[in-house]
Amino acid sequence: MGRYLSIPILGLSAALTASIVPHAIDFLIAVLSTITPVLSNTRGQLNLVMLFVICWSVHAELTDCLIWALVGGITLDLLSILPIGTTSIALIVIAFTFNGIARQLFHVRLMFLIGATPIATLLLTAYTLMALAIAGNTYDILAVTRLILIPTILLNLLAVIPVYAVVRLLQRRLEGGLQIAPQSLIPGTPSRADE
Amino acid sequence: MRSPGRPGRLLLLLMMLGLCGGTIILSVSGVLTPVEDIAGVPLNGVAGVLNRLSLSINAAIDDLNNLGQLRARIADLEEQLARRQVESIQLREAASDYERLIGLLNYTSALENQDFLTADVIAVEQTGIVRAIVINRGTRDGVAIGMPVTTDLGLVGRIIDVSANAAQVQLINDENSAVSSRLQTTRAHGSIIGQASGVLRLTMVDLDEEIRQGDLVITSGLGSNFPADILVGQVTSVRQFEFELFQEAEVRSLIDFETLEVVLVITGFEPIDLRLFDQEGN
Repeated sequence: MGRYLSIPILGLSAALTASIVPHAIDFLIAVLSTITPVLSNTRGQLNLVMLFVICWSVHAELTDCLIWALVGGITLDLLSILPIGTTSIALIVIAFTFNGIARQLFHVRLMFLIGATPIATLLLTAYTLMALAIAGNTYDILAVTRLILIPTILLNLLAVIPVYAVVRLLQRRLEGGLQIAPQSLIPGTPSRADE
Repeated sequence: MRSPGRPGRLLLLLMMLGLCGGTIILSVSGVLTPVEDIAGVPLNGVAGVLNRLSLSINAAIDDLNNLGQLRARIADLEEQLARRQVESIQLREAASDYERLIGLLNYTSALENQDFLTADVIAVEQTGIVRAIVINRGTRDGVAIGMPVTTDLGLVGRIIDVSANAAQVQLINDENSAVSSRLQTTRAHGSIIGQASGVLRLTMVDLDEEIRQGDLVITSGLGSNFPADILVGQVTSVRQFEFELFQEAEVRSLIDFETLEVVLVITGFEPIDLRLFDQEGN
């Protein structure tokens, strides 16, 4: 059921990222720019799809994580200039890695997510820049880092906890309480998907 | 020691990556275009509705914040309107003379022959790196790659990707956008390029040309990517060093790209690919 839920959730997240979220961020930056001019001209982007994928990958089975990453990438690419499937590759690698690490952790998954979000944002941005460069569009890396990457990391960090809360709520409802947790807490234990 | 589940995980990862690779190849080759069109319909629809909602909320908040200023502005505008009405009458007289003379010379301006198509902005580009918007017009409406996009306030960009019912517009403030331009006053040629900060920069202007703050910048039509004489923006500051070959200026577009709602696609303009002549020359 969880994997089917990925389509409406990630579709809506992609639509929100392309519509309401940029306007809300512009408004937030305009308000904050009155306090500090450092933020003016920044173009941070809240990547809801990426956050949902990494939050889902922390507790779910590997197959579910990879499907979420695939669907998330496709929804992002449908609203971007990149060919379909391009972003999915980055999200699949991120989801696979985070799922593998999270399986070894106990009770520190939220802290792990807070640490992992900047890394995931960095990887996704670097990968997107590389994909754009292959497509013939080059961008000033320093300017992208200063004006886009750093604000995006901050915005993603602000949003990761609410997104994690939503994801855990959904997962608990779908799986019926804590059924996933005990299985995934034992290091090296194969999940249902691996069997 | 390797855990028993590890090969299965890796195999699954490789299968998914292979699937993505195949999808990219099919997407680039155009085989997936009908599927992308169908899949894009609900996504573009939802994004469009949310975008309109967001713009309405933004406009309402702005209106509330600026109520006092708006009242003063209305009074100011009413005064200006009265002055402009007088000017308008004089200009109408001049225009009728102009049309009569043009008729005598059998000359038609390029802009007069343009067909425009109105489009709603339904989304902004997802990556955050590329400055682009999505509009709700596509190949079904006659939109094609390369067509210029404008508003009544000036040039917006050009179509870089198109599906059946939507199109991506690369904004002129994207880092990979370059527009051949000239100053309206001195007719000096240059190139408008976008920057990561979103500010436009007029470059490649000869050192002996004069650029003044407040000068209007318009498209020159050179390179045949855009029609000539479309407003691009206004010079806000000039940067000139003797040791450089060209001078530069910062240009501010009159368009607020973050709150664009409706744009015009110039469907009658056919961009010319001048690279063809380079290949022939080589």
